Amino acid sequence: MRYLIKNGSIIDPAARVATIGSILIENGRVVRVSDHADLASAEPEVLGDDIEVINARGAVIAPGFIDLHTHAREPGEEYKETLATATRAAAAGGFTTICAMPDTRPTNDCAAVTRQVREIARRRGVIKVEAIGAITVGRAGTSLTEMAELVEAGCVGFSDDPRPITDSAMMRNVLSYAAMLDVPVLTHCEDLRLTMGWAMHEGIISTRLGLPGFPASAEEAIIARDIGLAELTGAHLHICTVSTAGGVALIRAAKERGIQVTAEVTAHHLTLTERWVLGSLGVNDPPAAKRPARGRKAEAGLGLPVWLVPTRLQPYDPSTRVSPPLRTEEDCDALIEGLRDGTIDAIVSDHSPQSSVEKECEYRLAEPGISALETVLGLALTLVHRGKMDLIDLIAKLTEGPATVLGRSPATLRPGQHADIVIFDPEAHWTVDSTTFVSKGRSTPLIGQQLRGHAMLTMYRGEIAFRRGSFGTLGANETQQASRLEGILGSDGE
Amino acid sequence: MMTHIGRAAVERRHLLDLDVFGRTEISEILETSAGMREVLGRQIKQVPTLRGRTVINMFFEESTRTRISFELAGKALSANVINMTARGSSVEKGESLVDTVRTLQALGADILVMRHGEAGAPYLAAQHFKGSVINAGDGRHAHPTQALLDLFTIQSRFGRIEGLKVVIVGDIVHSRVARSDLWGLTKMGAHVTLCAPQTLLGPEAYWRATWPELTISTDLDRALDGADVIMALRLQRERQEAGLLPSLREYSRFFGITAERVQLAASHCLVMHPGPMNEGVEIMPDVAISAQSVIEEQVTNGVAVRMAMLYRLAGE
Repeated sequence: MRYLIKNGSIIDPAARVATIGSILIENGRVVRVSDHADLASAEPEVLGDDIEVINARGAVIAPGFIDLHTHAREPGEEYKETLATATRAAAAGGFTTICAMPDTRPTNDCAAVTRQVREIARRRGVIKVEAIGAITVGRAGTSLTEMAELVEAGCVGFSDDPRPITDSAMMRNVLSYAAMLDVPVLTHCEDLRLTMGWAMHEGIISTRLGLPGFPASAEEAIIARDIGLAELTGAHLHICTVSTAGGVALIRAAKERGIQVTAEVTAHHLTLTERWVLGSLGVNDPPAAKRPARGRKAEAGLGLPVWLVPTRLQPYDPSTRVSPPLRTEEDCDALIEGLRDGTIDAIVSDHSPQSSVEKECEYRLAEPGISALETVLGLALTLVHRGKMDLIDLIAKLTEGPATVLGRSPATLRPGQHADIVIFDPEAHWTVDSTTFVSKGRSTPLIGQQLRGHAMLTMYRGEIAFRRGSFGTLGANETQQASRLEGILGSDGE
Repeated sequence: MMTHIGRAAVERRHLLDLDVFGRTEISEILETSAGMREVLGRQIKQVPTLRGRTVINMFFEESTRTRISFELAGKALSANVINMTARGSSVEKGESLVDTVRTLQALGADILVMRHGEAGAPYLAAQHFKGSVINAGDGRHAHPTQALLDLFTIQSRFGRIEGLKVVIVGDIVHSRVARSDLWGLTKMGAHVTLCAPQTLLGPEAYWRATWPELTISTDLDRALDGADVIMALRLQRERQEAGLLPSLREYSRFFGITAERVQLAASHCLVMHPGPMNEGVEIMPDVAISAQSVIEEQVTNGVAVRMAMLYRLAGE
């Protein structure tokens, strides 16, 4: 099958391209990128047989997104998610690659499980699934996995997420061994002694709600330790889901010193705050400006505040419980600044689907984690809509950035490359309704929230992995006309 | 018979915390409580207000005092009162809170009085229950009827709450009583001082953002100067084991309420304690039974305040 995507705004950060144009796809690869808005009318001879023309008018054509942090739950917790549903949810979110975290049952801590994950993904998935291997056997923190064999079996990195490596000597060995293999170690940074029994971010809201806290310092302390060990061992350290202003400052300083460290942030940590745990109770509270600042102050004059306000949630809604917890407005600002100045390399989903059994319970007892793959783009685009980032830079954090973390050549739309493409409408307003999620995970604090920006069509290796409605099959005007006609003709219209 | 007791201006279904209550509403509750205390002073301590209604005391944590207080309050209003404890119930078999609440609803409960170890649990229950939920203490979060009975006790003694200086001493950071008292007292215009060792207080900014008028101190002798009310909180012995305190002895020396310390406060100062007391630790036995102590009165008022809340949430 051949495809011609026309009339779209092609934005390809790695190739430094941003133009209105067309893309021709054959045999799973990009064969031509043209700045003719409609290559079909400019050169009708490209059409020929067996081609679908996709009209991307008003939409952005970008390289498919890469998610460094997906909990796909298979094998072992198929009631929460499977590789089949996770890859489809990812495609619906604009992703063409996800990295499957090893916290499955059994843990992905040996080559047999890695091969199983890759095989299931290849047979039942609709996009690329990369496997992340466990750092320690059973993620128990005591003995190293057979990392060399895991790399041989296809693991692209190592992580015990959502657990930290508590033993510092073990962490040194982990980094040292991984450095030999030239793969990144992805660490969840949390000092477990400081977070015992935690429910949410420690601060103003946890004090009001009487919930045990996860202080920012519990993240910062382990980031600092791991940076020191990365310097000692020369390993590639990747900080998972940084959530604190202090953490951003540590990573920035480490990068300035030339230490091989990269970092990711979730879309929800960029845009939601601890206030979401208060739900509608907090909406009329005094403005955040009066609250004490902590850590590095965000630069002034960045435009509108980016964080969203919960309006429909009850207090203590377990859908606001994520690990690390949602932080403060100051942390959001620092995370955004970190994205802008290159301290943070990638935006990730940390998609952690849970069933209602894990979520419909007392706040602190609820498992952390939300179904995030389908809302990453809409949340992340808030940064663009509120003037914090250019669209091309944001797309880079979903494509070029994560590819670099994996040590890959950046995902791009140049001729000859695999046709892993997302077409998204950055202006599409939609209301989050998790009952319509492709993912099995239904828990998200965003239910009822209006987001702006939606993936419309996702193509993996030149085949359509996801299409929203009948997107692209008719011109925008024709679509409107068609629906009007349907209204007139009723069901006999066909 | 009770026409002098005003009904709520705002129709409220649940009592989860005092944060959403305004000053007028709290004043009305205190007025209703005064009427209820009058009922409790009669020969026959019962009125038919809640006849035919079912109140279930759902206690997931041990509590003798609060449970009996609610039980007496419900019975004084002629409600059917049933006590349920987590021990031996389906909760031990792994039933979820939501299922338990739905079951009690199906059994015909009108009011759930709920004590739970997890902050926020009554909010979850309220979302799945068609009747009223009264929070009888949830984790470190709130204990609104305790705060109301404290307000009622202070008001009965002073005739007002506004402008009084109230010093809350003790394990503030773990205390649901402190949090609910803070809401109630500040809304009624009292000046509140929190006093505790720093490890039982946490960072000052955490408190100040929500209650900006608050005074925070780690020096009890200075904090007590001119106090109208001293409220001592229970110190759980686990705090010392958790490394938050060097010893109970040191705590008692610097933060215990002694007769000498009471002298530092105003001469008319009241001494309060939500109970149960660790006599000799946070409060000395002679202070607990002194003329300035209203600790027993708090207990009596608790029944009246709980009657008032049951009535306001479910009456007629």
